Amino acid sequence: MTDFELSYKQGNSLFHRMTPFSKLLFVLSVSFVAIFNTNLYVGAGLFVFCFLFATFLTGVPLRQYWALGKIILPFILILAVVFPFFYGGQATVGSDTIAIRTPVKDLTWAALGFGALLALRFLALGMAGLAFAFTTHPTDLVQDLSKRGWDYRLVHAPVLGLILFPSFLQLGREISITQRIRDLGQDTNWFKRKWIRMKHLAFAMLVLGLRNGQTQAMALDIRGYGAYKTRTFMRELPSHRGGEIFAWVFFVLSVVYLVIQFNPATMQWNMEF
Amino acid sequence: MADEPALVVEDYSFWFKPAPGRPEAPPALVDVSFEIQTGSFVLILGRSGSGKSTLALNLVGIYPDYFGGRNQGRMLIKHPDRGLINRRELEAADRFRLINMLFQNPEDQIVALTVEEEVGFALENYRFAPPEIHRRIDYALDLVGLDGFRRRETLHLSGGEKQRVALASMLALEPSILILDEPTSNLDPAGTADVLGTIDRVREKIGLTVMVIEHEVDEVFSRVDTVLLVEDHRVMGPFTPHEFMDERGIFVRDDMGLWIPQASEIGLELQALGIDLRGSVPLNGTELVEALETLNAGFPLASAPATGDVDPDPPAARNESRTTVIDVQDVSFAYGDRQVLTGISLAIHRNELLAIVGQNGSGKSTLAILFNGIAKPDSGVVLVDGIPTSDYDFAHLVKRVAYIFQVPEKQFVCRTVYDEIAHGLRSLGLSETDVDERTLAFLETVRLLDRRDASPYVLSHGQKRRLSVAAMVIGNPEVVVLDEPTFGQDYHQAQNLMQLLRALADDGAAVVFITHDMRLVAEYADRTAVLCDGEIVFDGTPSRLFADKEILARTRLKPPAVHEIADRLFGEPVLTTPALSQRIQEVIGDRLRTIL
Repeated sequence: MTDFELSYKQGNSLFHRMTPFSKLLFVLSVSFVAIFNTNLYVGAGLFVFCFLFATFLTGVPLRQYWALGKIILPFILILAVVFPFFYGGQATVGSDTIAIRTPVKDLTWAALGFGALLALRFLALGMAGLAFAFTTHPTDLVQDLSKRGWDYRLVHAPVLGLILFPSFLQLGREISITQRIRDLGQDTNWFKRKWIRMKHLAFAMLVLGLRNGQTQAMALDIRGYGAYKTRTFMRELPSHRGGEIFAWVFFVLSVVYLVIQFNPATMQWNMEF
Repeated sequence: MADEPALVVEDYSFWFKPAPGRPEAPPALVDVSFEIQTGSFVLILGRSGSGKSTLALNLVGIYPDYFGGRNQGRMLIKHPDRGLINRRELEAADRFRLINMLFQNPEDQIVALTVEEEVGFALENYRFAPPEIHRRIDYALDLVGLDGFRRRETLHLSGGEKQRVALASMLALEPSILILDEPTSNLDPAGTADVLGTIDRVREKIGLTVMVIEHEVDEVFSRVDTVLLVEDHRVMGPFTPHEFMDERGIFVRDDMGLWIPQASEIGLELQALGIDLRGSVPLNGTELVEALETLNAGFPLASAPATGDVDPDPPAARNESRTTVIDVQDVSFAYGDRQVLTGISLAIHRNELLAIVGQNGSGKSTLAILFNGIAKPDSGVVLVDGIPTSDYDFAHLVKRVAYIFQVPEKQFVCRTVYDEIAHGLRSLGLSETDVDERTLAFLETVRLLDRRDASPYVLSHGQKRRLSVAAMVIGNPEVVVLDEPTFGQDYHQAQNLMQLLRALADDGAAVVFITHDMRLVAEYADRTAVLCDGEIVFDGTPSRLFADKEILARTRLKPPAVHEIADRLFGEPVLTTPALSQRIQEVIGDRLRTIL
């Protein structure tokens, strides 16, 4: 199994000590504000807040964030550069001229701000999501949610997926290597070869993944998984009163802000204003 | 050992659930009846596909409860409070606390991030209170010798450690019977010794009844109390190990294709040569040496002139006459921050079988993927026929250097067995007539002609392995690299495959195989390279390796049983059982002539 950068990092930071539920509340609040906010300054402020939060309150070195950040940053930059051309004012609705042909000199500040806001959105979401992943022990999440009435098997399924994901990824890598070794689709053009290899990869991973999954399901069953409706948890659930209050306050403020600034007529994706 | 049986199986048969619209297949288990005593150690033997795993899965109730099927007959399990009770009287969850099973690959059953969570996982499911969970985790980790491992991440454990953690997670439930499905098959010799030592310790401490399916019989056979033989979906036995070997002996190896201990092979071969060892067939080296001592032929000899497999030539001299096809020069390689190989230099020659050995994680597989350019060295160079791998077109290089993965399924790219073979020939640009002719001929050679239209995924394990090798060597590569070629194969399958590789080498190819099986190294390798912590610490013949106690200790490798027996008898290296039998016969003959 290969190392997986998204996994939990042990620590004792404020975020580590918060209950998974309050962290989830915080991350959801950040997500909704990031997605529905239309103000560039609020977007920038939210990103700076998440950045400072991740830097000082999670106890996880920034290089851990950067390990994933460097992979998604190019995509975020592409969004920031390309999407201004699709901004409402840049496209002539109903004309034959497609938005991407808008000359650079004609880009408005609003359009550029739209691109920047998009980038800030994803950066804030990424920071908050990673802070959650790095500081939340999977079992704690299962424990916290099952204590709040969720079926533990339902909550545990994505957690198991996260734990087993690296071996699935490794399987895909090895099959890709064998495709290259066996030169699959060698007598076809580039596009067809890619298509053949993609189909084969999907089939092989399905067959082998199902077989591994069956063994893993058996391994879970014989260890009493799902034998009873509830289970005990050996880990003590983290709890931090201050953190709990912080999460709820942040949530309430987020809801208030979203209600105040919500105006369907001014949303960027409304192309008819 | 208590007298009361731990498990009683009476007239038990099992039929797999048929696919929709298909008739029910003949039974997978037929009229199985046996009794296992409490605290005994049972070996389940049988050729691949004979029904061993089906039997184990039926014993724990995975079949038919979880995956369907039909059964008849009775299975009684000893309950700590209620005595022998019918399995049907227990809920599945309760049954798993009495009889449980450890799967072959520990990776398949690890579901938690740390060792303590892994061991505590089942206890949490069974709703034990946290203080009791912590007590049992300590208890189970102590039993398997991993006391200090509670906080360790499962991701970073070695293969042997993972298997012991998986074992601990079963022991924490305190079952009465534990079934182990090839627990050492993924492990290096050190890991195998750790796991078997752990089983010994657990049995000694808590009197657990253990049933093990295992190919590594040299280490296991003399440890077990009872042997069950599964053949054609029927179960024979229980036998005592001596009873089993005396009654079935070489027939089990030659006709059924099962591995037997090398000491037993020698004993049986000597019997066939007319030398009576006056007692049961020996199961290990100690018994064989003791049996030979009773012959008054002067065993053990302090030293005797070498004849068998002793290799008088230094490796350099042997290699001078051979053509180098791959030349690894001062190569280093790292995965991110983790240095895997450091300063590796190695020459690979035509007509040679080179074994690469070493512990799990020593860098063997990484070294192998440098040979055909799957990975590129960070420093140094890998030359194939004098040209760096980085200068080759990848598609061209992989046709010259064929790499065969440990798990054959990962290598299949076509829908039928026929197409798997034909694919390699088509990529060489041959006409369809030539492709057809050569494919059919090769399918005949690897005994897969009757499965030509089958999907590669539905073949038996041995057939899959043969197909994966055949598909890669059909284009006559100059170098064939195999990762654990005989993994999970029985004696016949392994011998056939190795003979095929020998033939390839004799035809001019260089064959490199990565293995943990020292018996294979002894019997087939011309040369051995030993990796330890990313460095080559030995490069020479197997006989020299097995004589180098310092290297063996450093790399935790163990010579095959036959080598240790020869060392005790003659103080000289012998690598194969026929050679040692012949050597013993010569000595006995000499002594008899002296006496007469």
